[in-house]
Amino acid sequence: MTRNKLYTLLTVLSLSGYAWLVFQLYAEQQNSGIGQVCIFKSVTNLPCPSCGSTRSILEIVQGNLLAALYINPLGFLFVSVLLILPLWIIADLLQKSDSLLKFYHHTEKWISKKPVALVLIVLVLLNWGWNIYKDL
Amino acid sequence: MEAQKVDMFIMSNNKFFESHHIPQIRELLLKADDSKWALVQTLQFQDPTTILIVSLLAGGFGVDRFMIGDTGLGVGKLLTCGGFGVWAIVDWFIIMGATKDKNINKLQQVLY
Repeated sequence: MTRNKLYTLLTVLSLSGYAWLVFQLYAEQQNSGIGQVCIFKSVTNLPCPSCGSTRSILEIVQGNLLAALYINPLGFLFVSVLLILPLWIIADLLQKSDSLLKFYHHTEKWISKKPVALVLIVLVLLNWGWNIYKDL
Repeated sequence: MEAQKVDMFIMSNNKFFESHHIPQIRELLLKADDSKWALVQTLQFQDPTTILIVSLLAGGFGVDRFMIGDTGLGVGKLLTCGGFGVWAIVDWFIIMGATKDKNINKLQQVLY
């Protein structure tokens, strides 16, 4: 993964994330959503591990932290990533440094360690089970 | 390395690499020392076709990316439900190329 490739990908991802959120906020005011977009849920009728994160983020934006936690705790992760990532990319581009790339490789190595990976897999599975139980 | 050995390696492993990389691989191997031969032979490459099947079935959870060693992208795909399904579909078309890139990187790491 080269620096430019990673930064382009992350910029596109966070921009589409913001676009999606703005669209959802607008749709909520108009009371007209486009309904469900998750392919996994449409096919199997079961929520996927990240189903509900949009609703969770919208609750966080409105200040209902407990409600957000109940819908999907991943919302907090997305909010922090969406807040930090663009600022970090801009700072890196201005200073011509590659600290984000180094951090990315570092995290990738850390996540690949067996104990860390196991804990994370269990957490994702637990969250997924909870999603299915709540019938999001 | 002897040309015969190199050609044998390329014949048995050419499905793991892009066709335009084959001449470059051939030159690298010809220039490499004979002591690398045992190491090169024990390398395990990922089969692009297998990864494509995984991508078609479980791409929405990022399993394909985890398998070829792109852990960061795998996590990204898993947590965004395959990038709203868009990224998962894009990956159906680029995952074979990505796998072949990973394979040539692996070979280069051993040879340099």
